[in-house]
Amino acid sequence: MATSFEEALTSGKFLATTSVDPPKGADLEGLGQLLQKLKGVVHGLGVSDNHQGIMCMSPWAVCKLALEEGVEPIMHMTCRDRNRLALQSDLLAAASLGIKNFLCVSGDHVRFGDHINAKPVHDIDSVHLLTAAKGLVEGKDMADNALEAAPTLFLGAVANPEADPLEPQLMKVDKKIRAGASFLITHPVFSMEKLKKFMEQLKKSPVKVLVGIRLLDPEEIATYRNGGYPGLFVPEKVLEEIQGAGIGKCTEMAAAAVQEIKGANLCDGVHVVAPGHEERIPEILKAGGV
Amino acid sequence: MIVAKRKPFKEIKGLVSGSKKILVLGCGTCVAVCLAGGEKEVALLASQLKMALALEDWDLEIDELTIERQCDREFIEEINQKVNVDEYDLILSTACGAGVQLVSDVFDHKPVVAALNTTFIGVAEGPGVWTERCRSCSDCVLAETGGICPVTICPKGLVNGPCGGTRNGKCEVDPEKDCAWTLIYNRLKKLGRLDRMKEIVPPKKWSAQQHPATVIHEAYKRRYE
Repeated sequence: MATSFEEALTSGKFLATTSVDPPKGADLEGLGQLLQKLKGVVHGLGVSDNHQGIMCMSPWAVCKLALEEGVEPIMHMTCRDRNRLALQSDLLAAASLGIKNFLCVSGDHVRFGDHINAKPVHDIDSVHLLTAAKGLVEGKDMADNALEAAPTLFLGAVANPEADPLEPQLMKVDKKIRAGASFLITHPVFSMEKLKKFMEQLKKSPVKVLVGIRLLDPEEIATYRNGGYPGLFVPEKVLEEIQGAGIGKCTEMAAAAVQEIKGANLCDGVHVVAPGHEERIPEILKAGGV
Repeated sequence: MIVAKRKPFKEIKGLVSGSKKILVLGCGTCVAVCLAGGEKEVALLASQLKMALALEDWDLEIDELTIERQCDREFIEEINQKVNVDEYDLILSTACGAGVQLVSDVFDHKPVVAALNTTFIGVAEGPGVWTERCRSCSDCVLAETGGICPVTICPKGLVNGPCGGTRNGKCEVDPEKDCAWTLIYNRLKKLGRLDRMKEIVPPKKWSAQQHPATVIHEAYKRRYE
């Protein structure tokens, strides 16, 4: 995988990406070991930014390590924790370290995290962040000041094909694309029917779409059921299927989902996440035929 | 109107600790309407304090007074015509935060403490129910959003559409509440103005919301400038 994530996306090849969460601590040794397992397996590695409002190490440090280890990072940038000044300055800082790919997100609300009394910032939203990042690439900041040196950025956004109602979600996605998103990573999808409907709306768009697949953990059924993970809608039928099952069966189910999505020839790749079981990602992709 | 909630009784008890004579000062406008700090609530709070403190052999004399508005000097000045403020160790105000501060400015030789937590600018949905409707951001977008404020109703204040957590039209943060952007979408559709939702709304001008803000009516500018 010598080509960059951007080049791979435009090559027409079916891609595989994943995401990891930075550690809640100052030690990157564990992540370094995981990166070795993912090297050569994924075309891009998303690195979350205080995922779900849980305070962790800033993603740029993990992205820098990934670059050193030969895995191309996709740094997540959430509008929840920083105002427009901090977001732009972090984009410039990350770009100076060689980080090029950014996933611009509004961010899960702090109520899902471990600092529930924090003030959510949301000075700007994901559409604004994409616009701002595109502006930086063109040499201007949000206040129209000229930059001394413009960064090179490849921008992406998130979308949820299972959002209900879908129409407002599609209108937002359209804004994200117009604002500068070259690729979309979707929330985990469980319904092919909903995915097809979503992709149908994007068929005229040049945007590349990586469809989310999540390795479910039977120990987390209650959290899935009570909406503990924002934007993750696991159907009751699937929850019943994994009730009492081992992680092995869930791994097979994730691999089958990869295979089905690849076989449907709907999108440009898959984004497989396996929180707490990231070491299973190579196995899922291999069994899924990617 | 401004909606407030009474602080927990234990906290209020702590606020008046060490006093021998206090004035519980009510406000007859917003907080009276939302049943938090009007004449009836003042009477209730005073009775609760008297009963609780009697059990602890704490000799506290409590007077009650409710004025029309604590956010207006004209009404605060009436207080001295009705009671002698110098007799009190402390004024326990059941106004919103604005009222408490103005009373404190006028009687700056007396401790004025807040018995309420000021919560939001909102509307009465029905008997005993109020909901937040305005964040007073000084940069109103309601004309573009079908009269529904995304800055207030969306917990993330998103101005360009929903996040990815909408399920059955409900908000991911609180599934009991409607997603602001589902409401806006449905309203604009009903109004035949869905095209408004397609336009990228620029970042909010937070500079319009200078804190602490001052508004001087055009007709009065010469007087104050």
